[in-house]
Amino acid sequence: MEALFLAPPPWEDWSLFGQQVVSGFATGAMYALFALALVLIYRSTDIINFAQSEVAMFGTFAMWSLYLAGLEAWQLIILGVLLGFALGAVVERVVVRPVEGRPHLSIVVVTLGLFLLFNSVATWIWARGELPKHFPSPFSFEGVNLGFTSIPQHHLGLLLVGAGVMVLLVLLFNRTKVGLAMRATAQNPLAAQLMGISVGRMLTLGWALSAALGGLAGVFIAPITFLHPGYMLPVFLYASAAAVLGGLTSPPGAVVGGFVIGIGENLLGTYTPAKWLGPEMKLPLILLVLILILLVRPTGLFGERAVRRV
Amino acid sequence: MQMEIWPFLALLAGLAAIAYLLPIVPMRWRRALAIVVVLALLCWAPFVLDNFRTFQMSRVAIMAVAVLGLNLLTGYNGQVSLGHGAFMILGMYTMAILMDSKEQLNFIDARPWPFWAALIVATGISALAGLGIGIPSLRLSGPYLAIATLAVMISITPVLKKFGGLTGGVQGLRFPTPPPPEFLKGLIDRPDWLYFLSLITAVILIFLAWNLLRSPLGRALIAVRDSEIAAAAMGIPVARSKVIAFTLSAAYAGAAGGVLALLLGSVTPESITIADSINLLVGVVIGGLASILGSVLGALAVVFIPSDAAKIVASLPGLGGGIVERAPGAIQGALVIIVMILMPLGVAGVLHRMAGLDVRRLPEVVARLPSRMLKGAQLAAGRFRWVWDIRPWAQRRPFNPDDY
Repeated sequence: MEALFLAPPPWEDWSLFGQQVVSGFATGAMYALFALALVLIYRSTDIINFAQSEVAMFGTFAMWSLYLAGLEAWQLIILGVLLGFALGAVVERVVVRPVEGRPHLSIVVVTLGLFLLFNSVATWIWARGELPKHFPSPFSFEGVNLGFTSIPQHHLGLLLVGAGVMVLLVLLFNRTKVGLAMRATAQNPLAAQLMGISVGRMLTLGWALSAALGGLAGVFIAPITFLHPGYMLPVFLYASAAAVLGGLTSPPGAVVGGFVIGIGENLLGTYTPAKWLGPEMKLPLILLVLILILLVRPTGLFGERAVRRV
Repeated sequence: MQMEIWPFLALLAGLAAIAYLLPIVPMRWRRALAIVVVLALLCWAPFVLDNFRTFQMSRVAIMAVAVLGLNLLTGYNGQVSLGHGAFMILGMYTMAILMDSKEQLNFIDARPWPFWAALIVATGISALAGLGIGIPSLRLSGPYLAIATLAVMISITPVLKKFGGLTGGVQGLRFPTPPPPEFLKGLIDRPDWLYFLSLITAVILIFLAWNLLRSPLGRALIAVRDSEIAAAAMGIPVARSKVIAFTLSAAYAGAAGGVLALLLGSVTPESITIADSINLLVGVVIGGLASILGSVLGALAVVFIPSDAAKIVASLPGLGGGIVERAPGAIQGALVIIVMILMPLGVAGVLHRMAGLDVRRLPEVVARLPSRMLKGAQLAAGRFRWVWDIRPWAQRRPFNPDDY
């Protein structure tokens, strides 16, 4: 008779459970870092940017060219962030500014056009020869022993960076004037303008910062998944689920969402009956969990409920 | 007689414009005349276009139904869905399961159903799924709803692969496409018959939607989109309207999927991808939100931009070679962005403005055109000043939503 469960239940094999949790934690960190970029753009412009993943991919490919030219991994990270910042600002100024103030759907469709544009241009420039390409990491991929399992140093670095970015974002939005101005711009551009906020500059800044953060995520994720023109799209889909799960307005929510999705996916894939669900169904299962959570909390776990006067 | 697709579409647009703008018939019959002209040309299409273009035109008719379905939800009711591909693929699979000659799960009849009965069932099942997703969606709005529906779309592919007993797994299902009925044998061949089938379905469903939107229910959908609170105060059952919108639009997507399955004769889990699902929304916005004409134009864009945009741009003088030929996606993306920048209300918005043209004043309008274009260029130059004016201390004029 075929066993209903492939894996022994956790109380019989805690080390397997631990391995699954740790590896989910590591993938969750990728989603969390990119979800932070989505939270940043949502908070500062009130849209979801579908081109985010492709701008990050484009920047990472540019960094890959510099890597071939002989730059060090840590230099690539700094340059990747700077390039992302510049790309985001240019994209906002040239392409998004003409549709500023229009219904959000128009802007979202423009970002979908940008998605195609960046993906296609990156494929044209870089996708020659052997794919996927190797991308360097400033950390090694040697495992850090945790007793029951090990976690690569690179993933630990990713976790630390993600945590640092989260703290910075919370401080930015809640403790600085610029952050307040960005939130005001997203909520009500007209009123923000009347309060003396330069709406256009705030939107540019929001796009630039989130593209910089996306670039950071891009160069940290590329060593794990390897580099090819589609490598950020799955990350984007997971990260958008993570950001929505945590509440699109909350940086800690994005991180929690990333971990819930990363760990939950692994556990659901391991500990559900293989005949009916099992590993192939882990993605639909975790998305089902996402939808169920949204039904209980329609603005995510930590999202602010938008209160608007009528 | 054979024609290329672009001269054919130009002829279609030109004749429709003549029928609509010239005082051939009284004012109130103009729109009807234009529609008759368009339908007559569309019936002529399979006899002058080659098989591939006929197939593409069938796809346009099918996508028009799907985009219109999404427009009912997004344009008219204000709910954004990125997951309508899921309803389409549900319609496709229902069709394939009923029409193939395998017995699924020892339960579903092995005999192929007649296609029209299968199509009705496919529409009904998609409507039920829409009801099932529409009720929980009441709690969600905006980006949360968009991502939740996208999650449904992402989930459906692994589910279809996993439950192969019903769906045929990765290979999917195949079935014979229906032959033309007896009385048309010899007149039209199978692809033409499938084209007419798609066209008839599209015409019926578009007519139903047009009727619906002029009924109290249609007005209720629009009122709910504009302000839920005001609609509730007017006595409109808000929740019920939203669920009905979801159900209807899922039914449209399912019907589109059903006809698409007929056209292809096979279904796999990859028949509708996540990109296709998102493209439906692109079609809605490019064509024109809350516009039936816009839905049809959006369907044209969704079908023809991927297949032709890059080729056409490459054939323009001075633009061949390099990026245009090697990166067709860049052209498609740029085209989407340019349309959105230049046409705030979609292509249909531009046509609605042109429909107000008085032909008797045409010479006058044409004579004024150069000066108006110059003025427009000056305005645009002013509006686009931020491109070159990068002084950080430059003052922008106050943000004014009415400008757009």
